[in-house]
Amino acid sequence: MSKTQTLAVGDDQEKLLNEALKHVEANAFEMKTCLDNTKLMDALKHASTMLSELRTSLLSPKSYYELFMAISDQLRHLEQYLLEEFEKGKKMSDLYELVQYAGNIIPRLYLLVTVGTVYIKANEGSRRDILRDLVEMCRGVQHPLRGLFLRNYLLQCTRNLLPDISSKEDEQGGTVHDSITFILHNYGEMNKLWVRMQHQGHTKEKERREKERLELRILVGTNLVRLSELESIDSSLYIKSVLPSVLEQVVKCRDSIAQEYLMECIIQVFPDEFHLQSLNPYLQTCAELQENVNVKSIVISLIDRLASYAYRTDSGIPSNIKLFDVFQQEIAIIVQSRPNMEVEDIIALNVSLVNLAIKCYSDHIDYVDKALGYCNELLTKKISGHIDHNGPPGRELQRLLKVPVDGYDEDVLTVLKLENYLSLVKMLNYEGRKSLSLYMLQAMLEKDASIESFTQAEALFSLLSPLISDQDDQPTEKCDPEDFEEEQSMMARLVHLFRASQPDQQYQILNGARKQFGTGGDTRIIYTLPPLIFATYRLITAYKTIKDEDQKWRAKCEKIFQFSLQTIMALCKLVPELSLRLYLQGALTADQIASETIAYEFLTQAFTLYEEDISDSREQVNCITLIMGTFERMKSLGEENHGALRSKCAVAASRLLKKPDQCRCVATCAHLFWSGKVTTDEGSFQEFHDGKRVMECLKKAGRIANQCMDKVVQSQLLVDLMNVYSLFREKGNTEVSSSFLKQLIDKIKSDIEELEDNDDKTLVDIHFQNTLQHLRHVKANEGSDS
Amino acid sequence: KKKKITRDLIKTKMVLVLVIGDLHIPHRANALPPQFKKLLVPGKIQHILCTGNLCTKETFDYLKTLASDVHVVRGDFDENLSYPEQKVVTVGQFKIGLTHGHQIVPWGDIESLSLIQRQLDVDILISGHTHKFTATEKEDKFYINPGSATGAYNALDTEVVPSFVLMDIQGGSMVVYVYQLFKDVKVQKIEYKKKS
Repeated sequence: MSKTQTLAVGDDQEKLLNEALKHVEANAFEMKTCLDNTKLMDALKHASTMLSELRTSLLSPKSYYELFMAISDQLRHLEQYLLEEFEKGKKMSDLYELVQYAGNIIPRLYLLVTVGTVYIKANEGSRRDILRDLVEMCRGVQHPLRGLFLRNYLLQCTRNLLPDISSKEDEQGGTVHDSITFILHNYGEMNKLWVRMQHQGHTKEKERREKERLELRILVGTNLVRLSELESIDSSLYIKSVLPSVLEQVVKCRDSIAQEYLMECIIQVFPDEFHLQSLNPYLQTCAELQENVNVKSIVISLIDRLASYAYRTDSGIPSNIKLFDVFQQEIAIIVQSRPNMEVEDIIALNVSLVNLAIKCYSDHIDYVDKALGYCNELLTKKISGHIDHNGPPGRELQRLLKVPVDGYDEDVLTVLKLENYLSLVKMLNYEGRKSLSLYMLQAMLEKDASIESFTQAEALFSLLSPLISDQDDQPTEKCDPEDFEEEQSMMARLVHLFRASQPDQQYQILNGARKQFGTGGDTRIIYTLPPLIFATYRLITAYKTIKDEDQKWRAKCEKIFQFSLQTIMALCKLVPELSLRLYLQGALTADQIASETIAYEFLTQAFTLYEEDISDSREQVNCITLIMGTFERMKSLGEENHGALRSKCAVAASRLLKKPDQCRCVATCAHLFWSGKVTTDEGSFQEFHDGKRVMECLKKAGRIANQCMDKVVQSQLLVDLMNVYSLFREKGNTEVSSSFLKQLIDKIKSDIEELEDNDDKTLVDIHFQNTLQHLRHVKANEGSDS
Repeated sequence: KKKKITRDLIKTKMVLVLVIGDLHIPHRANALPPQFKKLLVPGKIQHILCTGNLCTKETFDYLKTLASDVHVVRGDFDENLSYPEQKVVTVGQFKIGLTHGHQIVPWGDIESLSLIQRQLDVDILISGHTHKFTATEKEDKFYINPGSATGAYNALDTEVVPSFVLMDIQGGSMVVYVYQLFKDVKVQKIEYKKKS
C-alpha cells in the first residue's frame, strides 16, 4: 500500500469498509473451521490473511476502528482455542516460532500479542518478560493510526493480566512496578504516534487531521485508565513512579492537543486524594504547557473537582495542604504568563477559586473576599467603564457574583459581609447590576433571611440600588410594566425580612428604609411604603411588649406614629383609597396602646381623605363602612372625641348617593351607638348602649328604605332592617319592642305578597322566612330562659 | 341494585375544599409559611374558597395552581376591585356563603354574621378579617373563619397564629380540618352533619 495514497471519503469509506468486513468474515469462518478440525497452521494462515486488512491506509480512523473491533472479536476465538490446547496439556512453546513467519509485520505482531496473552494466561514463562517483549515488539509499527490500534490491542489483551502486587512474591510473576513500566512505555510510544499524526499530510487538511486525532484520544487515555486500575498504586507510589513520567511525556511532546487532553485525563482518571498530594508537580507542568493550551479549563476542572471532594468528605482538606493559597498562586502565575488571556477566562478562574473557598473554607469569609479582591484588581487593570452584561466578560462576572449567593446557603446575608463584593457589582452595566440585585433579593425572600442590624440593611440597600431608585446609566425606555410591578412587589416583601431583635434597632432600620424608598419616586413608593407602614405598626406592638423595661416607650411610640403619619401622607395623592385604609389601621394600632390623641388624629386624617379625595360612590360606601367598622372597635376615645365621630359617621352615611346604600350605612351607624366604646376619665371603657339613639338610626333607615322606588329593593332593605332590629333586641336593647317588630313583619309580609313573581321575589321571601324562623327560635329560647 | 350503589357513590364522592384568606402579601407578609406551602399540593383540592385580602394577582395565580376552581371575595386591601362582596357556592349538599367580613359591623360578631347567613340562605358561612380561626355552630348553621394563612398583622390581636382550613365534604357530611402553625403544624378535626 502506498503511503501517499489519500484517504477516500464518504460513501467510498463505507464501500471500502464493507468490503474489508466481508473479507474478515470469510477468513474468520475459514479460521474457525480449521480450528474445529485442529488444523492450527491453516488457521493461523487464515488469521494472518484476515489481519492483513489492518494494513490499509485508505480507511478513516472511524472506519479503521470498526474493522479493528470486528477482527479483535474474531481473534478471541483463536485465543480461546490456544488456551484450551494448553490446558489439555499440549506443549506449545514453538507457537511463538510458528507465528513469527507470518508475512507482514501487522499480522505478525497481532498474532504475537495474542500468543503472548495465551502464554501469560497459561502460566508459560515469565509474565514480566513476556509483557516487556510485547511492548517492545510493537515498536515495529511506526505508522500512527496502525500503531495506535496495535498498542491498543495490546492493552485490551493484557487488561486483567497485569501484576498488581507490591512485593516480590513471585520473581517470574512480576510486581506492580513491572506493570507500571509496561504501561508507561506503551503510553509514551502511543503519545508519540498520536502527536505524529498532527504533521502527516498537507497543511490544508490540518483541521480534518485534528478532528481525527480527537476521535482517537481515548486510545492514548486508556493507558492512564489502566494505571488507575492498579490497586497497589497508592498515593506515594503514584507521586514517585507514575506521575513524573506521565507529566514528562506531556511536556516533552510539545503538542497542544495532547497536552490539553492528557492533563484533563489525569484529573478525571486518578482519585482526588492523589491530586491533593501532587498539586505542586501538576501545577508546575501547567505552567510549562504550550501557549495555546486552554490551561484555564484544566485548572478550573481541578479546582472544581477538589472543591466537590472536600465538600463531600467529612475530613475535608488535610490541614497541611493550603489549597486556597496554592491555587490562588497558580492562577496568578497563569494570568501573568498569558498576557493575552481573555477577561472572561480570568474571571472564570476566579469563579472556581471562590467556589473552592466557599465549599472548603466556609468559615473563612476572608478567603472569598480575598479572591474577589484579586479579581477586582485584575479587572480594574484591564477594563475601564462598565462591563456589558451580555458580553462574555459580563456573563462570567455575573456568574462569579452569583456563586456566594448560591454558596452561602445557610445564611445568604453573608454576602453582605464581603467587602469586595459591591465594587465588583459596580463594574457591571445597569442591566447586569439589576439582574444581580434581583438574584440576591429572590434568594433572600425564598430563604426568609432576617435582616437584624442597621449595618446589614445599609449594605443591602447599596446592593439593591438599581431596584430602589433610577440610576444614572439606566436606559431611557421604560421598563416593562409587569416586570416593574413584580420587582417592586419583591422590594415590598423585603420589608418583612427586617427583624431586628431590639425595637430601637428595628426603628433605625425602618427609618433608613424610608429614606431609601423615598428616592424611588412616586412609581415605586406606592409599592414599598405600605408594607413599611405596617412594619411601624408591628413595631408599636413590640414596644408595648417591652414597656416594663423601657421607660421611654410611649415617647418612642409617638415618634413612630409621626413617622407613620408622614409616610402615609406621601401616598395620599397617589393612592387615596389605600391611604385611607392605612390611616384606619394606624388608628386601631394607636387605640391598642390607649393613645387617644393619636388614634383620633388618624381617624380625622381618614375622614379628611374620605371627604376630599374619595369621589366614586361605590368606593364611598366601602370607605364609610370601613371607617365605622374601625371606629366601632376603638376603646380609647373619650366622650368628646367619640361623640364628634359618631355624628360625623351618621352624617356621612346619610349623605351617600344611592338610597339603598344610605339605608344600609345608616343602619350600620346604629352599632356605634350601641357597642361603640367610650373611655371614662378613670381609664376604663364602656359600651355606649344608647338604645334610643339606636332606634332613631334604624327608624331613619326605615324611612330611607321607603323612599326607594324599586319595590323589591325596598322589601329587601326592610327584611335587612328587621334582622337588625332583632339583633339589637337580642343584645338587650329594650327600646325594640316585640309589638314594633310584629308591625314590621306584617308590613313586609304584605309588601312581598304584592311583588311580581320572579327570582328576586323568591330570594327576598326566602330571606324573610329564614328571619321568621330565627325569631321563632329566639322566642323559644327566651321562653326557656325565663 | 348496582346502579343505585354507583349513583350513591357518585353522590357521596369526597370533595376537598380549601378555605384560606387574609394572606396580605406583600403588605403585611412575605410569603405563605414554608410548612404550609409543603402541605398544599396541586391536584388534591377540588375547590378553593378564599376570604380575600390576597392582596395581589401573584397570590391569586398561586391559588390557581392548586385548583382550577377558585372563588375569591373582596377584602378591604385587595388590589382587584372586581371581586364580589359575597359569593354562594354549592358543594355536596351544602350551600356555602363566602364574604370577607370587614363589611359586617361589629367585626367578627356572630349575630351580625348570622344576618348574612339568613340573607344568603346558606348552611355554612365563611368569613375572615379577624385573622383568628373559629368554627362555630349556631341554630344548626355553621360559621367558619380560616384565619390568616400567613399570620398577618392584626391591630386587634397580638397573637395571630397562621392557619387555614380544609373541608372534606361527602354529601351531607363534612369534616373540617384546621391547620395551625405554632412551632409546628397542628391539625384539628371537627365534624358536622347537615340537619335535613
